[in-house]
This record gives sequence, C-alpha cells and structure tokens, in this order.
Amino acid sequence: MIQKKICMVGVFGTGKTCLVQQFVHSRFSVKYHSTVGVKIDRKVVPVDEGGEVTLLLWDLAGRDGHGDITVSYLRGAHGVLYVVDGTRRETFDQVFELRDIVEKAVGPLPSAVALNKSDLTEEWKLGKADDKALAARTWHQFTTSAKTGAGVEAAFAWIAREAVRQGSAPS
Amino acid sequence: MSVDAFGLTDTGKVRENNEDHFVIATLRKAVDLGQTSLENGLLAGRVRESAAQLFVVADGVGGHTGGELASGAAVQCLLEYVAQAAGCFHDLGVDQENEFLERLEAGIHRAHERIQRELGAGGEAPSTTLTLAALVGVRAYLVHVGDSRAYYLDRGRLRQLTRDQTMGEYLLDAGAWTEETAARARTAGNLISTVGGAEMTPSVGLVDLSPGDVLLLCTDGLTKHVADPQIAEVLGKDNSASQIARELMDLALAGGGSDNITVIVAKLGSSE
Repeated sequence: MIQKKICMVGVFGTGKTCLVQQFVHSRFSVKYHSTVGVKIDRKVVPVDEGGEVTLLLWDLAGRDGHGDITVSYLRGAHGVLYVVDGTRRETFDQVFELRDIVEKAVGPLPSAVALNKSDLTEEWKLGKADDKALAARTWHQFTTSAKTGAGVEAAFAWIAREAVRQGSAPS
Repeated sequence: MSVDAFGLTDTGKVRENNEDHFVIATLRKAVDLGQTSLENGLLAGRVRESAAQLFVVADGVGGHTGGELASGAAVQCLLEYVAQAAGCFHDLGVDQENEFLERLEAGIHRAHERIQRELGAGGEAPSTTLTLAALVGVRAYLVHVGDSRAYYLDRGRLRQLTRDQTMGEYLLDAGAWTEETAARARTAGNLISTVGGAEMTPSVGLVDLSPGDVLLLCTDGLTKHVADPQIAEVLGKDNSASQIARELMDLALAGGGSDNITVIVAKLGSSE
C-alpha cells in the first residue's frame, strides 16, 4: 500500500496532537501535554477511485520559547498540515514564517492550514482578512475543532489526496 | 557517535521477586575484511560498520513468578525478532525509517502474542510494560507500552518522552477526573495497555539527540520515589553512565524501594 508521510507543524499548544488523536482514535484530550520530539500515528484512508493510502502522521513538537521546529524531522515528508489556534492571534502570524522554514528545508510540498479550536467561538481572533491572507498565498484552509471533530476528516482527506496526487504526477 | 550506556536492576526493599528485566544491545551490520588487493582505506569508507544501540526495560505484572516470566519473555522475544530484522538498521533512509519502526512495533506484537499463547494457558496471561529506545546515529526511536518511562536531558532540561498508559492518565485526558481525583484514586495507576494483557496499544515516536544529551529508561520503581527534578540533577552531573545509574538506584532505595527498580542510562558523547 502507498504510504505518505504527513507532518503536523505549528506553534506549541495549537492542537496538533489533538487533531491527530481525533482523526486516528476519535478521542479528545482535555489535558495539555507538550509533544517532545515526534509522536507517530498511522491511519489508512480512502483516496480517489477506490484506492487507499496509509498516512504516517508525524506530530512534531511545536515551536516554543526553547526552540524552533527541528527540520530534520521533515525529511521525506509528502505533505504538511500547519495548525493555527484560532483563539491565539500570534499562532496565525507565525504560520507564514513556519512555512518558509519548512520550504527552505524540504522544498514546496502539498500543504494546508487548519484553523483549529473552532468550538471556542467567543474567543475566536481570526476574521475575513486572515482568510484572504491565506488565500493570497494560495494556501488551502480548513476550520477545525479537535474537540468536536468538525472539519478534521476533511482536512486530513484533502492532504492525503494531494500527497497522493503530487506523488503520482509526472516529474 | 559514542555512547556510554549502563543498566541496573534491583528487587527493592519490599518485593520478594524482581519482575523487571532490561537489555542493552548493539546491533551491527558490518563487513570484516579479510584479504583484498584493493586499497583498504578506499574500501573502508564503503563498507563501514553501522550500528544501532537498543535499550529495553520491562516491568512484569501478574504477581508470583508470572510477571517475571512475562517481562523476560517480552524482552527475549523482542530481541530475537529485532536481531532477525537487523538488515534494516543500515543507514536509515526515509523509506527504511518507517520499515524500521514497523519492525520494532512488530517485535512487540510478537512478544504480546507469545506471552498470551505460552503463559496464558488456563486463564489470564501475566503481562508486562515495555519501553524501548533504538539509537541510530543521533535519532532515538521509541516504542512504549505501559508506565515504564523514557526521559532525556536536553541541555539541562528533563523531557519525558513517554506518557504513562494508566487509568489515571486516561481519565484525566478525557476530562472525567481532576488531578485531585487522580491523586486520591487507588485505580489511577492501573495499566490500560500492557504486553500480553487484554489491551495493548504501542505508542511510537522519535527524537533527535545531541552530543551531551542523556537518555534514561526506567521502570516505575524509580519514579515512585525519585521526582523529576532529582532525576534531572543526577542526569546533569558530569559522571559516567554507571555512576549515574547507581546514584538513581540509591535514591530510589533510600526513598523506600517499594517496587522493583530498573534504570538504563545512555550518555551521548562526541560524534567521533
């Protein structure tokens, strides 16, 4: 079966681990644990025309005050899902810089942005101008909630499809 | 990269048997040159030895001799399986890396099946925790089941690489318990995932280490009595792996030694 390595990238505490846990195990953790190194999960997902792909989900430790993301973990990635906490403006502001770091390390890859924690509507800090800023950079975006599951399947299904499509495109 | 590694296990002060087991192993793929008309220096660069360091701790569950048998069988089975798969330790490329992790996980699944088959006749099988770290170059690959832990000291900062697979952690994560409830509950430490048990869910991860970092694998006999700040202080000393392991063991025994205690300490040296 085809395998595709998808890296989860973002600032600490944006919900990368929770998105993976919701997608793979259909569960949500209310307790925050910062990821150390990389946590790896797998899930088989259907792709176009009856095929399947195994997603290797590399949940990278988030950027924090102690250091940046470790680019050596990105080697061999087929796609990146950037995660923003929609209730923390600074996590959105930093996502563009994170994409620059990733693309400098491994080149352009299929990628999307998950604007996460959409269940926290009263604390939401992003608006239409931010949607436009992402669209202007031709960045596919999903509004997600790891807590309710909203948008989660769609985000991973899109990145899976794009990773497969890019992998099968003639070079 | 040079690695100074040392392991210790102790029955502790309360238990009659030691149900913990550990192993430190080096897995090699090498070509030993006999005679050749080729220039040795040229050839050496092409057939250089590659090696992976394997560290495993396991804490048996089941009382009497059952737990001891389970942890021993798990470590032995895993080592046998990994040895058979040693070919994939050579220079891990992107594709091989995933295969390597799958093989480590498969080794644990094989141990799980063997314990259930060979030790579970006539009832519930004894089981064991198992925490494994495989060091290939600077990258440590981790597979973990249960509540034995892996830590590393990163520039003086202690980082826990594993999360306990216990009832307390599970219910805290689910929001069903508060920290206070978990601290009081007798069942908080019950394992929800063990090798050989009814449920087994290996957790897989990796971390890139740097020269000077210290890796620690331990059973809960250490962490019941030695708090993280103490562990960090001991790991941060400019001592050999054996001295550090001994000091951690002494602290756990001085703290009560209520359980079997096992520690593996691996200090990463220079990249020479």
